[in-house]
Amino acid sequence: MQEAMRIGLVVAAILAVLTFVEYVFAVNVSNDVLRFIGLALAAFGKAGAIIYYFMHVNRIWRVEESH
Amino acid sequence: MAIVSAVDGHASPYNHPHLNRVGLWLFFASETVLFGLLLSVRFFLEGIEREHVDQLLGLWITVILLASSVTAFTAETAIKHDNRTVANWGLFATIVLGLIFAGGVGYEWATAEFTRREAFGTVFFTMTGVHAAHVVSGIGILGLVLAQSLRGRYTGKDHWPLAGAVMYWHFVDVVWVFFYPALYLVK
Repeated sequence: MQEAMRIGLVVAAILAVLTFVEYVFAVNVSNDVLRFIGLALAAFGKAGAIIYYFMHVNRIWRVEESH
Repeated sequence: MAIVSAVDGHASPYNHPHLNRVGLWLFFASETVLFGLLLSVRFFLEGIEREHVDQLLGLWITVILLASSVTAFTAETAIKHDNRTVANWGLFATIVLGLIFAGGVGYEWATAEFTRREAFGTVFFTMTGVHAAHVVSGIGILGLVLAQSLRGRYTGKDHWPLAGAVMYWHFVDVVWVFFYPALYLVK
């Protein structure tokens, strides 16, 4: 359980950093295109972390895994 | 084949949690179409323009929803290790954070400086409304799961309802990860 919780905390830290960076980036960057690209990258990064580590997308087809 | 396996007393490959998981992901795929359309409508109607919204409130409710994903993950991890106490507290914390998020959205609605008759108001109220409906339904599902968990319904080897509810909650969180910058930050 400690290993799983460690992963959870690392992902939480990644989400916190990306959200902070996303906010600061949006407030300070005046170029519309650059801001849009930066926000999109941050959003996909956060979504990817949640989908992979929290939603366990890699387990979809794993038959032996049980709940 | 499935019936024969069940009769023989063997676990059928068609009656397995992995099938539930595939079904849930198919549901997420259909929901992604809905939320993707809402997102595309937002940019189709308004481009990257937006009206004034409360930036700090948007940031805080985003942090709260992301934190609720961490508590939901904690609950799932705990029940996998038969730690019901931590699982119950994780579910409870997730519900509380979800309620705070829903309250924040409600406050934003009450104090919005635009109306639903404007293009941005239309997309803002529709997107946050549909998402909030999912948040509220997620809170209800988590509440039911918590009630079952308090009765000792789940174990480390049998907790699909809890895992499914938590996955749904994560999905709602992922949707907001895209809605937040689209509504609050793009301009």
